[in-house]
Amino acid sequence: MKKPITDLDYVEFYAKKMKEDDSLFKQQKILIESQLESSSSLFKNMFGKGDNFKSNAREYLKSIGLIKPLK
Amino acid sequence: MANGYTIEDNIIVINRELTKLDIFLRDFLEILKRHSDYLVVSGYVSICSGRTRATEDVDVLFLMMEKDRFDLLLEELQNNNFWCYQGDSSDEVYPYLKNMDNIRFARVGETFPNIELIPINESRKAKFFEFTHPQGIRVKNFELKIPPIEFEILYKEIILGSDKDVADAKHLRIFFSDIIKKEKFKEYETIIRQENK
Repeated sequence: MKKPITDLDYVEFYAKKMKEDDSLFKQQKILIESQLESSSSLFKNMFGKGDNFKSNAREYLKSIGLIKPLK
Repeated sequence: MANGYTIEDNIIVINRELTKLDIFLRDFLEILKRHSDYLVVSGYVSICSGRTRATEDVDVLFLMMEKDRFDLLLEELQNNNFWCYQGDSSDEVYPYLKNMDNIRFARVGETFPNIELIPINESRKAKFFEFTHPQGIRVKNFELKIPPIEFEILYKEIILGSDKDVADAKHLRIFFSDIIKKEKFKEYETIIRQENK
């Protein structure tokens, strides 16, 4: 197997490895869940808790285009 | 050490534990399935099969429905700890669907990850094709419907085409190289190219 250099080389490297070795999924689970937990923590801090959460979140989501105005 | 996946009765079985992302999607689909058929597409398909990358949404196709049916779906989702970005009432949310615009749901108190719920009908040729030709995939006891792998690869390469999508497609091409059928690419390419017309 050639030494990975570019991002796509790494994609290829891991896809080949994972195809043959399911133990690599443990590492994937840790990385995926770590990203979800970081994201959750960040946005909880940004938007607060309780009644204000949805209104604060919606304001932010509109600003980044994830809530689009109704046509 | 075992292979990353096996095939059982035409279902792709991924040999891994459930992640929190799987459980979030599973809980959403448990409700959606009681109201509509569905298909999980795009980034989650690659991540489910081992691609390691960040994601903040899971794209789910569903058949456009009448408002009274959507009222029941929205109510059940809200009763089960989900909130909708676009509004709290069906009167606020349904107009988006009527325009065939996507809507998003997250867990109460969370913003990400979210489910991007994509309404489709027969006029969306490529999407309707994949919707009506699902491939089963299972992780532990969580079984769901995804597009044919060859279709998903081509859709990412031809229609979506971002660096992330090209990398997802490459992952799928390699990871599933033992089960991919070359003749399917020709068949699906014709259908997918209609999406651009």
